[in-house]
Amino acid sequence: MIRYQESTISAYHNYLVNDTLTPGFSVGDPDSQEGFFFLADMVQSGEPAPRISARILDDHGVPLVELSENEIRKNSGGCIRQPPSGGESLILLFSGAPLLEVNTRSFANGYLTIIKAKLFDENGELRMESQGKSIRVYGDANLTLCTPFASSHKSSPPK
Amino acid sequence: MKKNRLSDSIWVFGDYRNYFQNRVTLQLIAKGKELAKELDKQLIAVVLGDQVHQYAMEYVAHGADVVVAGEDPGLMEYQVDTYTAVLARWVEAFKPQILLAGATSFGREFFPRLAKRLHTGLSADCVALDVEKDTGLLVQTTPSFGGELLAEVVTPDHKPQMATVHPGIFRELPHDPDAFGCIIYPEIGPLPEIRVKRMRTRPQQTHDIRLEDAAVVVAGGIGLGSKELFGMLSELADLLGGDVGATRPAVYAGWAEEERLLGQTGKNVRPKLLISVGTSGALQYTTGIQGAETIIAINRDPNAPFFKIADLGLVGDAVTVLPLLLDALRKRV
Repeated sequence: MIRYQESTISAYHNYLVNDTLTPGFSVGDPDSQEGFFFLADMVQSGEPAPRISARILDDHGVPLVELSENEIRKNSGGCIRQPPSGGESLILLFSGAPLLEVNTRSFANGYLTIIKAKLFDENGELRMESQGKSIRVYGDANLTLCTPFASSHKSSPPK
Repeated sequence: MKKNRLSDSIWVFGDYRNYFQNRVTLQLIAKGKELAKELDKQLIAVVLGDQVHQYAMEYVAHGADVVVAGEDPGLMEYQVDTYTAVLARWVEAFKPQILLAGATSFGREFFPRLAKRLHTGLSADCVALDVEKDTGLLVQTTPSFGGELLAEVVTPDHKPQMATVHPGIFRELPHDPDAFGCIIYPEIGPLPEIRVKRMRTRPQQTHDIRLEDAAVVVAGGIGLGSKELFGMLSELADLLGGDVGATRPAVYAGWAEEERLLGQTGKNVRPKLLISVGTSGALQYTTGIQGAETIIAINRDPNAPFFKIADLGLVGDAVTVLPLLLDALRKRV
C-alpha cells in the first residue's frame, strides 16, 4: 500500500507546513501567558495577509518578542521589524540576523504563505525550523485550523 | 476511513499547462462532481508537477472534495513516461471507479497509454457522460464512424472506467473562495527514465479574445461559397462583439485558420448567441456548438438539417442576407 499524508486545504489561503498545505496551524498553547507559542491563524476570503501571533524565545528559553496579529506587542529582545514589502514580512534579531520571515505568494485566486524561522520553546527545545520551502513543526501542535483561532477559543491570543 | 476517501471514487486528471487546459479540468471537475453526487462518491482531482499548490487550491474552489497531489522536480514537465508511471501506480493502489481527462493534446497521448498500462478501456473525445441507472456504470458518449454516429460506451468488466472529454462540453462551477477540501500527498515512488527530450517550446499564437469565451459566435460553412463572403462574417462578429468560427470544409478551403475550427475535432463553444451561415448541420460540427443558448441558422436550402437544431431559421442566400444584416447592424452601432 502506498503511504500518504493528508491535510485540510482552503481554496483561498494556506500555509505550507510539514510539506503540506493547511489553512492555519498553531504550535504550543496560544492561550498561555508565558510559554512559547506560534499561531498562524486562518485567513478568511477577502483578507490579503496572513495573521501571525507568537511568543518567540531564544534557544535558552529567554523571551525575545511577542506578536499579536502581525503587530509587535512586547520586544524585550530589541528585535527589529523591517517594513513589509511585496508580501514579505521580516523580523530581525538585534544583531541583524533573521528571526522570522513570513512570505506570502499571491496566485490568481488565492494566497500561499511560507514561514522561515528557527524557534525554541521555554525549555530550549527546537519547535519549528525551515526545511526546504516548508516549515517543519515539532512537538505539541494543531496542524489544521479551519476556523479563525479567535472565534473558536474563549480568548484571543494574549495582547 | 482513509482508504474510502480515495478508492471507489471519481478522479479527474488536472491539466494546468495553460488557461485553456486548466478550464477543461475545471469543466471536468464540475461534471465529475455531478456524477459523484449521483453515485454517492467523492470527486478527486489529481495534480502532478513541481509546484502545484495554486492548482490544488483552484480545484478545491471549483468543487473538488479531495486533491491528490504529487510534487517532484521530475514531474515539472508534462512527460507521458513519468506521468503514466505515477498515475498508474496510484490508480492500482487506490482503485478509483472512474478516471477522466480533457481531450487535450496531452490527454490524448497520456490516457491511451495509461489505459493500456491499467488493462482497461478508454473512450476518447467524449461529448457526454452519464450514469446508467440500473448498473451505475459510466455511459461515455463518443462520436464514431467519422462522427456520423454517437456511440454510447460502457466499461462493465474493467476498472477504472476511463474517458477523455472534449473541452467546452461542460460548464465549470463558480469559484468559491470559502471552500475547503482535503489534500493528499501519496508517495510518488521512483520515476522512469524520460525517453523524450524536449528541445524547445514555442507558444501557440492566440487571439486577444478567445473563441471559447465569446458571448457571440458567427460560424461559417462551405455553403457560403467564397472566401470573400466568409470574410463578411468577421465584420458581423465585430458588430456583435463576438468572434468567428468555421466548419471543417471551410477550414480545408483555406477561408479560416485551423484554430477557428468548431466541432468534434475543433473547439466546443457555448455562446449566448450562435449565428451559423452556410452550414449543413453535419454531426461533426453540431457537437461543438450544441451548448449555445440561442442558435440562428442562415441557409438557402430549406431542408438543411441544421434548421432542426436552430432556434431561429432564415432561409436565404448569404450573398443577399449578409449585406442586409450588416447594413442594419451598422446603423444601430
